[in-house]
Formats: sequence, structure tokens, C-alpha cells
Amino acid sequence: METLQSLAYGFSICLQPMNLFYGFLGVLMGTAVGVLPGLGPAAAISLLLPTVFHVPGVSSLIMLAGITYGAQYGGSTTSILLNIPGEASSVVTCIDGYQMARQGRGGPALGIAAFGSFIAGTISLVGLILFAPALAAAALRFGPPEYFSLAFMALTLVAYLTKGSVARSVAIACVGIVISLVGLDPITSGSRFTFGFRPLIDGFDIVIVAMGLFGMSEVLENIGTSSRQVSVLSTGTRMKDIFPNRADWKNSVKPIARGTLIGFFLGMIPGTGNAIPTFISYAVERKFSKYPEKFGTGVIEGVAGPEATNNAACSGHFIPLLSLGIPANPSTAILLGALMILGFQPGPLLIESHPELFWGLVASMYTGNVMLLVLNLPLIGLWVRMIKIPYSILSVLIILFCEIGAYSLNTSMADVLLMNLFGLVGYMMKRYDFSAAPLILAFILGPMLERSLRQSLILSHGSPTIFFLRPISLVFICLAVALVGSTCLAGRRLGEKAIDMKEV
Amino acid sequence: MHSRDLKSGFIFLIFSLLVFYESLRVGIGTLSKPGSGFLSFCAGMVLFGLSLMFIYRGWNVREARTIHSRRVILALAVLIVYSLVLDVLGFIVATFLAVAALFGVQTSRPWWAVLAISAFVTLLAYLVFGVLLHVFFPPGFLGI
Repeated sequence: METLQSLAYGFSICLQPMNLFYGFLGVLMGTAVGVLPGLGPAAAISLLLPTVFHVPGVSSLIMLAGITYGAQYGGSTTSILLNIPGEASSVVTCIDGYQMARQGRGGPALGIAAFGSFIAGTISLVGLILFAPALAAAALRFGPPEYFSLAFMALTLVAYLTKGSVARSVAIACVGIVISLVGLDPITSGSRFTFGFRPLIDGFDIVIVAMGLFGMSEVLENIGTSSRQVSVLSTGTRMKDIFPNRADWKNSVKPIARGTLIGFFLGMIPGTGNAIPTFISYAVERKFSKYPEKFGTGVIEGVAGPEATNNAACSGHFIPLLSLGIPANPSTAILLGALMILGFQPGPLLIESHPELFWGLVASMYTGNVMLLVLNLPLIGLWVRMIKIPYSILSVLIILFCEIGAYSLNTSMADVLLMNLFGLVGYMMKRYDFSAAPLILAFILGPMLERSLRQSLILSHGSPTIFFLRPISLVFICLAVALVGSTCLAGRRLGEKAIDMKEV
Repeated sequence: MHSRDLKSGFIFLIFSLLVFYESLRVGIGTLSKPGSGFLSFCAGMVLFGLSLMFIYRGWNVREARTIHSRRVILALAVLIVYSLVLDVLGFIVATFLAVAALFGVQTSRPWWAVLAISAFVTLLAYLVFGVLLHVFFPPGFLGI
């Protein structure tokens, strides 16, 4: 009852005209930032950080928070329509979302992404309200062994990301791990795999790698195909063709529910970011699906689950931030800075000492989600029309988009060159029948895997039993073994079936 | 032609040897004090094993030749050159030339149409990103 009263108080704060305006501004900028590759929410929030000096505290925080979850909505648009992930958390949406767009179902894909994000955002907010302090305490129990086991379990999901050979996925994942280690060692600060090239000292940025491997390689492949019109063949732009139909909803309900849970709980763990939960969600949906072989060809579950996950993870990030003052990712780290500038001390006492901030922020996340749905749905028809542009022009626009996005990261020509090289690598991978998804997953997990492995082994004086003696770590290891085991078993069953059929 | 498995196997083999070299150079450390090259060495070992498997699998297999479209090669060349001359020529000049080249590779429109569309696209990109979004673009030696 007290929680409901507090929530009502929060709505009375966020529904004030000024807070509504700043909330709208935040989600609008977040959506734009999500669409544009190269400019992430962390960069946008840091650019707008000085506003905290000129705008009332709660209003500026509402705006900055709006950017973080608004970016999740925007990132899916280019992922689905152009195979260019706007954010790292939108990479996995490319796999099936883009295929749906190629089949003339870009509208339903965008629609389910928007609705799924809204539903997940709303449900996870309830979780935030009810469970924030208790869950934050549980998240703090994650140490290096738990992070390693989580990353290891996530890495075993490479088998579920592609239809083809598991060996090829593992091989390309190993390449992804090595690529992620290029640059400075975070523990010793020594350079490795740079071979004397200064631009490699900072390593590769995920946006550069993702744009190159997904966006540029797709464009290059399509350029090589004669007279091909990649844009939608015969989609309608009537309302009923644009939005998800009843069958889409039926297939998406459970993925959205599962995605919400995965995103919310994993989002609470500092350091996991938004991308890892989306890969886990995709793999889970493939595992639970009655037709896993169709994943990668344009199934709506492959969009609904991950899109729900990345929005739920956004809400999950606020739990350690507001309850304990621990940021979960770069965006929330900057938000923490904003809180401290304004004189708010995040922690268990924040709710009691500044209820207007906590409840106002929480309520604004709900109104922000409503605004995002209202903002994004009418745009679906516009986006679908956009991809009907002749591909000879569209491809050049996509390339230009990527080039500018890459350059805007660090205003460096080297980033542009690297992205083009990754585009070449991605193109060659396609020709040699290798999927980019395992590489990207391993690239994202690599730093966390290495840091936690080395820290764990140092803590345990070289004994690997540390991963088995801690309960949470043991659970993840067992899940990983179960996943690998079920893959091998499925492979053996398929083999036996093939032998049986041959004998008959 | 040799199979894709064989070719990719050799590429992975070379890559894994490179990984071994660099990992040992920076030091793999010990189990109780893992070095910079520890995880990369482990990944390299897995990759080495898989590369041998691909080579074995593809050794006696023959597949049709993989043909790369001339347009793709030209487009890649344009992009590589673009990224190298961007700072020198500046955003507007480099982008105009690159966009024109990419249009030229893909379409059979008259040259004046290609140049006109390229100029329009370059200007639009500059206005949206450079002016509206304040993305810094290199001015180049012409100062524009």
C-alpha cells in the first residue's frame, strides 16, 4: 500500500509539465541516438551532462534517464531494416529482424520490437519498484568467479546462434575473443596484438566491429548480386500490414515474457551491459522453439525476445545504481556522476531521503515508455517506405551512414579504415559460410572473460576449483555443461535419425 | 577448386600461429598468475585444433570456384581509398568523390545524373551530421 502511495507521488512529480517535457526530450534524443550508429547513449548523456547546472535536478535526471532506454527503441530500427545495429544491444536483432524485412515483414518486426520493448519496460519497472533493495544485495554477491562462469555460459550459446556447424561457430568465436584482446592489457597496461600500430592501442570499438561485420558486409554482398532489389518486394503500407498480426502476437507472448525476466535479472548485475542478455535471450528462444531450424530465416521470436530483453535490462541497470550507487554500464556511470553533481547520494537511504527523486524517476520511466511507443509506432510506415528506395541509392546512403558513424566515434580516420576492413572480413565470412553472430558475442564477452578469469585464478592461487566451490558460479557452470551436452545429444540424435532413415 | 573448409582451415592455422607468437611474446604467465597472453593462448589452442580439423575435412573435397563480383572489389577499393584520403581531401571533397564512384560502380545512369545525385547526397549528409548534429568533419587541404 505504501509502495502504491509512493508510486502515486512519483507520478505526481513526473506528470508535471516541465518534467513531461524533459522526459519527452530525453526519449526523443535517445531514439535518435539509438538509430545513429557511432553515437551511443553514454556519449549523448555525457554531452548533455552540463544541463544539470541549468535545469532542476529531477527534471535533468528524467531527461538523461530517458536517453538510456530511448536508445534501445531506436537501435532496433536500423537493425531490422538495414542490418546495421545502432547499438551493441541491437546486434542480435539483425539476425532475424533483417530477414523479416527482406520478406516484406519489416513493419511487424518493428511493431513487435516497439510493443515488446514497452511491455518489458513496464513489467521490469514493477520489478524495480518492488524488489530493488533485495535484488541489489544479491547482485553484489557476484565476484570474479561468478562473472567468469556467466561469461563462459554465455559463450557456450554460440552453438545456438547459427544453423550451421558448431565447429565453425566455435572457431569464429575464438577469433572474436582474440580480437577483443587487441590493445592494452587492463591489468598490466602492456600492449598486445597491436604490432606497432598506434590506432590499435585502444583496441576495437564494438560499434566499428558490428557496423563492419553486419552492415557493410551486407551491402557489399548485395552490391555483388546483380539487379537485386533488397528493399521490400510487395509489402503493403496499410495499417494491417504494418503491425503484427494475431499469429505474430501468439508467437511473441512467451518470448517477451522470457526476455523480460532474462533482461531484468541479468541487467542488475554490474558489468553485463545490455548486449549479453540479448544473446542469451536469442539462444533461449531458439532452444525453446518448436522449429529452431527456422531461426536466422526471419522468425518473429528472434526479434521479440531480444528486444524485450534489452529494454528490461535497462530498468535492471537502475537497481544497483539507485540502491547501491554502483553503475552497471557506462550510461549509468555517467548518470551516477549527474546524481553526485546534484548532491544526491545513491544508496539504501536514497529512497527515504529523496523520495521525489527515486519515485519521480521510476514513474518517468513508465511515462517515457508510453511516449516511446506513441513516438515509434507511427514512424513504422515511414521507415518501411524508406527501404523501397532503389538499392543502388540506398546502398550508398547506408555506406555513407556507416562511414560517418565510424568517424564520429573518435573523429579518427583509422576507425573508418578499420570499419571498412571489418566489412571486407564480414563479406569474406559470408562467402565462406561463417556467421558473424558468434564472433560478435565472443568479442563482447572477451574482456569480461579475461578479466574475471585472471582475477579468479589470482584469488585462488591458480586453483580452478574456485569456479566450482562458489554456488552461483557452480550453477552457471552446470548450465553451460547442460547446454553443451544437449547440443551434442541433439547432434547425435540427428545423426542416428539419419542412419535409421538410410537403413530403412 | 579447393574447398572452403580447406581454405578457411589454412587461414585459421596461420591466425592461430600468429596468436601463439604474440601470446608467448607478451607472456602467458602461470596458472596462479596468468599473464597478458593467457586467454589468447587458450583461444589459439582451440583454434589451432579446429583448423587442423577443417584442413582434414576439406583436403580431398573439390568445390566450384568462388567468384567475387568486380563491383564488390571496386566498391571495396573506393572505401579503402576514401578512408585514407578523408583527412587529406576533407569530408566534402572525399565524400563527393566516393559517393560518385560508388554510384558509378552500381548504376548505368548518365555521368551528369551521377554527379548531381552525389552532390546532393554529400550536401545533405553535411547539413544533417555536420551542421545539425555538430559532428566534426575534417576540412582537408581546401579548408571546406
